[in-house]
Amino acid sequence: MSERVFELDGVSRSFGQVKAVDNLTLSLGKGEVTGFLGTNGAGKTTTIKMLIGLIRPTSGTVRLFGGDPSESCTRARIGYMPEMAYYYPYLNVRELLAFYGGICGMDKQTVKTRTDELLEEVELAEAAKRPLKTYSKGMLQRAGIAQALLNDPDLLILDEPFTGLDPLARIHFRELLKRLRGRGKSIFFSSHELGETELLCDNVAIMKNGHCIYHGAASAIAGDGGANLERLFLEVLEKGGVR
Amino acid sequence: MNCHFRRIGALVRLSLLELWRRNDMFALLVLALVLLVPLSLARPFGVSGAVRYFDEAALLLIWGYSLFISLGIGGRLFTSEFDSRTIYPLLAKPVSRGELLLGKYLGGVVASLSALAFFYALWMVSAALRGGEWLSACLLQAFVLHAMFAAFAVAMALCASFLMTSSAGMTILAVLLPAMFFFGRRLPEYAGNVSGALRPLVYAFYWLAPHVEFFDMRQRLVHGWGGVDPVVFLAVVGYGLFYTVAALWLAHVIFKRKKL
Repeated sequence: MSERVFELDGVSRSFGQVKAVDNLTLSLGKGEVTGFLGTNGAGKTTTIKMLIGLIRPTSGTVRLFGGDPSESCTRARIGYMPEMAYYYPYLNVRELLAFYGGICGMDKQTVKTRTDELLEEVELAEAAKRPLKTYSKGMLQRAGIAQALLNDPDLLILDEPFTGLDPLARIHFRELLKRLRGRGKSIFFSSHELGETELLCDNVAIMKNGHCIYHGAASAIAGDGGANLERLFLEVLEKGGVR
Repeated sequence: MNCHFRRIGALVRLSLLELWRRNDMFALLVLALVLLVPLSLARPFGVSGAVRYFDEAALLLIWGYSLFISLGIGGRLFTSEFDSRTIYPLLAKPVSRGELLLGKYLGGVVASLSALAFFYALWMVSAALRGGEWLSACLLQAFVLHAMFAAFAVAMALCASFLMTSSAGMTILAVLLPAMFFFGRRLPEYAGNVSGALRPLVYAFYWLAPHVEFFDMRQRLVHGWGGVDPVVFLAVVGYGLFYTVAALWLAHVIFKRKKL
């Protein structure tokens, strides 16, 4: 069994009377790419927030690289991109990365070197001096992925990374994630974009009403018929489990 | 330890960049310049009393602007992070909530004090142009106490932004602090004139509410009465520090438990 990057064991999280996540057990191996699917309100974002230590579970345990994600040092090995953040509009992307580099405790020279590499990687080098308020949604997403990759994390957690991207930006973003997967990064991302998920993921986890109703290889639920993920996703949701 | 300094340094730099690049703050500084320069340089009929009156008005404007800037900066420190959702990637980094709070607060204080230093520099220039004493122990004391007040106001606004909406917090503080500035010392007199349950309430408010007037050295500066006794000066600084630490501690407790 490969090294577990994170493990959720019987995790539940309630907000008042509402149980957002109910007895969820899920893990991610080193170098794996898992798509986290589900309808709105299924508990995907709550799960991600527990994973990065923003909120604590009501019950169960969350282990990130074997540690507690609410401890700041445990988070040194992750990169996180939230669903559509409006990064400081008065900064340019270099200043944004210098800021996050400082927050990660990185020295100036390392930040500069990483910034140069990442701006090429996310194709923002030419727009590096423009304030972020002039960026399109796709460019902001790329700035977001750059900040998530700044500390060269072992695990990348992305919340709805394809939201609001035009087809071309989607292709660029998908290629970027493929390159990262090629470098052995573990990637866990939530999405409504089933096509993108199918193209990128080794595994999928499907959430419904706070429960994980499927976790396994995407190919396993596709079966011999070779049906696409979209049809199978609907089928799993309707049945509340795998065939 | 080095990492802690880098984190806090990054947050301070961010606050300064925000102050410098936000148009509303820049507009306020320009407005201050436009209003303060004529007030400081005015020599109405060469009457010294009238000159002092204008001096005092200029200093009162500095107090008003500095209060507005401090509350504006303190109130926005975290609400802007929540509104733009940048709090999420920030807290996913290896930074504790305590470090984040301290770094953001120090950034806010540095930004607020930069604006205050600008106003006082303007005051010194105008004093020098009038041929008066442009640097004195009294002016230094006045600046330090004013800076202490600004640091305290940033902490109060930050704390209020966790307790209620930022605009509600700023509105309450924008009423409470000037009210204490002008009427704080008269509260015991007022308490003596009321009866029943209201009297202990007024006294309780008198002892609990921050006495902004302690930090005000305008009269001494304008009338040339000289600085205050160093023991009194240090006691007022300690008083300001006490309220600042209390506000930050409360903000930390709330922030640590805040659902994100």
